[in-house]
Amino acid sequence: MILFNGKTYESSEQDRLLTELEQKIPVILSKKQLSPEVVIEAVDCLRTDLLEGKFDSLLESFPADVVDTYKKQATALLSREHLHKKLATELGSTEEYVTDPIDGFSQIRVRKLPLGVLFHISAGNMDFLPAYSLAEGLMTGNINIVKLPSADNGLSLKLIMQLIEYRPELKDYIYVFDTASTDIQGMRKMAELSNAISVWGSDMAIEAVRGLAPTGAKIIEWGQKLGFCYVSGLEKVSDADSELEGLAKHIATTKQLLCSSCQVIYVDTSDMNVVKAFAARFLPVLETAVSGNQTEEIGIRARDTLVSYTQRLKSYLGKEEKLENVIRGRGCSVILSDDDRLELSPMMCNVLVKPLPRENLGRMLYDSRYHLQTAGLICQDEERAELADLFTRCGLIRVTKGADMSAYFPGECHDGEYALSRYVRIVNIEE
Amino acid sequence: MKLRRKLFSSKDPYDFSKAEIFLDACRENYDHLITHCDDYKKISEGLGIRSSKDINRPSDIPVIPTMLMKQHDFRSGRYMVMATSSGTSGKMSHVRFEFGALMAALKMSIKVTRYHGIMTAKPCRYIVMGYKPHRSNKTAVAKTAYLTTFLAPAISRKFILKHTSDGYKPDFESIVEALKKYEKGRAPVRFMGFPSYTFFLFRLLEERGLSFKLPKGSKVMLGGGWKQFYQEAADKDTFYKLAKKTLDIDEENIVEFFGAVEHPILYTDCAFHHFHVPVYSNIVIRDPDTLEPLENGQTGLVNLISPLCTATPILSVMTDDLGILHDGSECPCGVKSPYLEIVGRVAPEDIKTCAAGAADILKGVKV
Repeated sequence: MILFNGKTYESSEQDRLLTELEQKIPVILSKKQLSPEVVIEAVDCLRTDLLEGKFDSLLESFPADVVDTYKKQATALLSREHLHKKLATELGSTEEYVTDPIDGFSQIRVRKLPLGVLFHISAGNMDFLPAYSLAEGLMTGNINIVKLPSADNGLSLKLIMQLIEYRPELKDYIYVFDTASTDIQGMRKMAELSNAISVWGSDMAIEAVRGLAPTGAKIIEWGQKLGFCYVSGLEKVSDADSELEGLAKHIATTKQLLCSSCQVIYVDTSDMNVVKAFAARFLPVLETAVSGNQTEEIGIRARDTLVSYTQRLKSYLGKEEKLENVIRGRGCSVILSDDDRLELSPMMCNVLVKPLPRENLGRMLYDSRYHLQTAGLICQDEERAELADLFTRCGLIRVTKGADMSAYFPGECHDGEYALSRYVRIVNIEE
Repeated sequence: MKLRRKLFSSKDPYDFSKAEIFLDACRENYDHLITHCDDYKKISEGLGIRSSKDINRPSDIPVIPTMLMKQHDFRSGRYMVMATSSGTSGKMSHVRFEFGALMAALKMSIKVTRYHGIMTAKPCRYIVMGYKPHRSNKTAVAKTAYLTTFLAPAISRKFILKHTSDGYKPDFESIVEALKKYEKGRAPVRFMGFPSYTFFLFRLLEERGLSFKLPKGSKVMLGGGWKQFYQEAADKDTFYKLAKKTLDIDEENIVEFFGAVEHPILYTDCAFHHFHVPVYSNIVIRDPDTLEPLENGQTGLVNLISPLCTATPILSVMTDDLGILHDGSECPCGVKSPYLEIVGRVAPEDIKTCAAGAADILKGVKV
């Protein structure tokens, strides 16, 4: 299904619509500009209807507690107040101003304007991501072409159509396609219509988009990242048990699928016996968290098991043999490894545990610099600031508690930048 | 592959006493694989199986999920024929067969189809509810559907899926026309192919109020799986009733096959529509959480084992089907080997992940 100018079309009409879009874009760009207030109002209406239960039937496929969490988040994050705050935080002042006079130079008017046309290639790893990414593009006044992920279940499209229903003037700025990832021609055409491409995904996906994009198109990457948790001096940590429970719960709920999810737990030691002792202590905690989060649906459990088993076999391929020792629990495992590489775990609650003495932290972080984002930290309070400083100096973006590695913090950046500021440009007009 | 020859030469395809030969043939196959496929060796060692001496029962053999075969191309020797899975989600497994495997498969097909009375000398007309062979189509399903039209001499072959400039399209009208003609003749008619298309045809005939009295000995043979039609498949009785109503074919003349390109063993249903496990294979049902083997009667992941092929490591594969293995004694047909019931599939594989770099964006794109 395609959403084009407020109307839906069959996927087969893609070529014709893209040709039509090429004619439409210059007309829209030269005529008017979208005010963020229109977008904020539409999103706020969406929030009200969501909280009043208007979309409950659409959310039926999610577990009840997930729906509750989503509603709680929506209450705060989709509110007018929060959106205004987001604009202010991420864009700074959007007021136009004139530079101070300097002898011998002309003054200029400085203004922040949208990039023009944004092409969003969304990943499927977070519910609502396509709609969220689009809303950010709209808030900055851009025309948006959205390629839906193939895993999208139709929810994104429904939410987007709802936004247009609240404020029909949005329709000129929204073009959603369900193009298959293999339709290179279609994707290239969309890229050619755009000023910038916002892509979420793996190294491979970003590489492919770079090849696809016309020279000169700005590529806004939200790349593949790997999260880890650093555990130091556990025996001295007050409330160590609840810290470990929090981390286990994080692993069980995200199933290690997010960029911020914990793939590796590093223990501050060079002694493998200490690592083993930690693994033995953590496994039952993880097992409890997993069983508390277990779905009854056999198809999902079997799929998750197959995915992690396949990932495990893949790790045996094409790599030199390394010492590895797996302690299995029900629905989860702890994989001991004596190297300190930051790598992807088999996911689905199969976490790697490795030794990493503090003196080697800098080197490990430097080696992993392209994939750093979130580090959970379990340590004594007095060490927290020092370790957080070390982590951020060496490239990390978020340092959180073990339990909160994938939590959303209002006002947070993404991969070190504010999304909105990447979707605008600054223009200068001589006075 | 002496032991494979011995196994596939078994006279009775359901002879339960061949378990030892089966295990020995599996060990023989395993020994070939670890010496001819580095990737298989790495996986085997990773799983703690270092030689065939570590294999005490079929469930000890390293299990390769078809999910992995769709992402990684395994080879383990020279081959003659290559087949691919249907690749419903755009990803396919490639399975290569050497001459010995093809011969073993041929022996198996003859024995099994003879046992079930499908192989006869009486010429018949075939209506293939599947793909018309075309050089662009390498799917095993197209090949096997075509091969079954040799089980009895063919007077004619008609295909419902025609290759057009827009890909494959079903052509129900020409099938209806053919039925009108065949009804008047003497030669039995055999339907072969996807259950879903056959079901649609029956419903189309019913909606139009058409019914035929096909010549005696006509059969409906089903293969290629019910795929997305599981919910409809639950109602097989309706299927049998419609076959009787629209074509005058009795339930005992409806034969279903089950197999997969990654496990090309011919499972044929008995008179009670159960897929008994033939001597050429073993099935292990595994726990959906731990992958440990389960007792008969419990639902889990389906692990299919057969030493048929050496050119691809498909000795022990795990599909994304969920199934139950029942004791043979539960079926009154007389065959003693256990039978498999497929109850569904695992949740869709397009799992949402970005950490894995498997975010489905631009999958496999080379620009």
